[in-house]
Amino acid sequence: MTGREPQPTADAADPADPADPADAAVEVAGLCVRFGAVDAVAGVDLRVEAGQALALLGRNGAGKSTTMRVLAGVVPPSAGRALVAGHDVHAEPLAAKRAVGYCPDVGGLVPRATPWEHLQLSARLRRLDGWEPRARALLEQFDLGDVAHRVTAGFSHGMGRRLSVVLAALHEPRVLLLDEPFDGVDPVGVEATFTVIEDARARGAGVLVSTHLRDLAVEVCSEVAVLRAGVRVATVSADHMAGDEGARAYRALLA
Amino acid sequence: MPTVRSWPERRARLLAAVADVRHLLWFRRATVRRPRAAALALAGLGAATVAAATLPDLVPAPAARGDLDRLLAPALAAVVLAAVSGAVASGGGRELLARDPAAVYPISPLTDHLGALLLAPLSAAWLIQAWALLGLVAAAAGVGGAPVALAWLVAVTALAQAVGWAAEYLRRRRVLAWLALPLAGLGVAPAPLVAAAIGHGRPAQQALAVAGLLVATVLLVAVGGALAVLTAGRVPRDEARQETATHAARPLPRSDLALLRRTDRASVWRSVPLRRGTVLLALAPGAVALAGGLAWSSLVLLPGLVASGCVLLFGVNLWCLDGRGMLWRESLPVAPRTVLLARALVLTEVLLGAGTATLALGALRAGRPTTVEALAVVLALLVVVAQSVSAALRWSLAHPYAVDLRSARATPAPPLAMVGYSLRLAVATTLSGLLLAGFAGVGRADLVALCAVVLLAVAAVRIGRAARRWADPVRRASVVTVVAA
Repeated sequence: MTGREPQPTADAADPADPADPADAAVEVAGLCVRFGAVDAVAGVDLRVEAGQALALLGRNGAGKSTTMRVLAGVVPPSAGRALVAGHDVHAEPLAAKRAVGYCPDVGGLVPRATPWEHLQLSARLRRLDGWEPRARALLEQFDLGDVAHRVTAGFSHGMGRRLSVVLAALHEPRVLLLDEPFDGVDPVGVEATFTVIEDARARGAGVLVSTHLRDLAVEVCSEVAVLRAGVRVATVSADHMAGDEGARAYRALLA
Repeated sequence: MPTVRSWPERRARLLAAVADVRHLLWFRRATVRRPRAAALALAGLGAATVAAATLPDLVPAPAARGDLDRLLAPALAAVVLAAVSGAVASGGGRELLARDPAAVYPISPLTDHLGALLLAPLSAAWLIQAWALLGLVAAAAGVGGAPVALAWLVAVTALAQAVGWAAEYLRRRRVLAWLALPLAGLGVAPAPLVAAAIGHGRPAQQALAVAGLLVATVLLVAVGGALAVLTAGRVPRDEARQETATHAARPLPRSDLALLRRTDRASVWRSVPLRRGTVLLALAPGAVALAGGLAWSSLVLLPGLVASGCVLLFGVNLWCLDGRGMLWRESLPVAPRTVLLARALVLTEVLLGAGTATLALGALRAGRPTTVEALAVVLALLVVVAQSVSAALRWSLAHPYAVDLRSARATPAPPLAMVGYSLRLAVATTLSGLLLAGFAGVGRADLVALCAVVLLAVAAVRIGRAARRWADPVRRASVVTVVAA
């Protein structure tokens, strides 16, 4: 058992990555996740194309975060198939993790490590070279430059959320998974997160944003998928979910 | 603004605190994961206590009782020193409800104090001391001495809690907390009198001793409550300093494993309870060995004591070091076995370091060891470290808990689980130490080596099995989900 193992490098620009660029960024078919007797996800189908941002909406317990965790390689699927950048998260977990940038819904930070140590860990395990200027730029963009070397245990909730987005975006992943990235975040952080999402789309990455903030979701995503009780009940254009009309449509889907 | 409270006010506050303790105990009982196992464990602890207080009365010959009498006063004083040292290090004792979830409830410092008192006996250190004292009293004076011994244990617990609050108050006022340690003298001073009442006292004298100790307990609980209120008014300085600390960037190490180790090591040494506990466990047993001038045959047992104590600081719930960051860490592209190896190596470093410091202190007065003794001590250290790492990996996988080790009072698992872990580990490591000490005592280096190889092999097999379980994504996901909850 060694710390340095022969693993292919695999960030977005890696030519050695065997995934077909024509593949969808995210492809989920019949995904089920069971925790004991509870079906957290009960047959979800999703597809996010390269360069597309899809919002996941739904009530608490609808299965949004569990779906995100499966795609991030944290929770294995009980049934069904989940591909990220052409890699099966179950069969090729390391390749899938290299292709993904994940901002978890809760915490997501090692409490007694500094932001810079988090970035070092991510960069090292993803074999990034020359990552420091981008890391500094992201920290500045998210107004975290001054606390880059402070342990995260003392961070406010919003600071933690912002750093989680920075960590997800550092390696310019082909699939960006943001779970509640706007929760408790100030307008500067929301703007910075919008920029990260737009940049990801511009370079051809697929983005999945799970949130309860419908207004923000429709502003930054082109499509919205609504989950209810572990099942996708609709996928509609973001325009249909905007404004008062969209709010009524959303409530109808949740009912 | 008047600050002196009237008696009816004080009484109302006390009654409210008692009622809150009752509610919190109910809440803890309702949230026990395995209530049947918990009930069995409590019954087992009760049975062990009764056995410790009665069985030794049947075993020794009456002629030996005179020798045992002389041990009573030192044993009573040792209970005081151990209880007070533990309380000073823990910064206020156990919490009925952890600091962060408790923040939203109006839990008074008095409630906190009473809760900590109730939870104090649920630690292996307290239980082992109590059983040893009750056993000694039963052997020296018969079961008649048990009520006085029990009253002593209760009073000492109240004293330790009060001294613990005094130390925490000093700490929060930027004064060295260990300056509160001399207050332990309040407990040590009456030890000879209590020993005399146990050893030679008539029933009336013993009843008087019990009554006196109970009165002292009431006073000490009240003093502890007042100190808890005073302490709660000040910011926990050590925790605040750690949470706002900055650490300069260091160059990337040469391998993934080295970086993972560095991250995990930082999680240990930047945590107040882990750093404080490790230092205490590395120095205190060694200091006792140095003061007592222990021989090498006894030093063989110390690594087991230290390792089983250190592993309780975080080892029994290894993954809680990452807290909620475990969700993000699990999304990083690294082989699970590398992550496990890094965590196991960091735990090994802590255990080996603390055990070596203890032995180094003990060796100062132990003289020159024979070859067999030196071999036994070194192998005992390796064996108990391997056993502790093996247990830590297995238990962390089987029973993870969502724990935030920010508070100096935090423990990696609930109190009853901690008792179970510590007793199981103490038994395993002590038996191993006794075995090696026994073979060393008869000068059999070959048997010492053979025994160590067998014990190391068993630990290695168990570590390998734990690593294979960790490689299972379903099992790993269940750990991540719980720890990051």
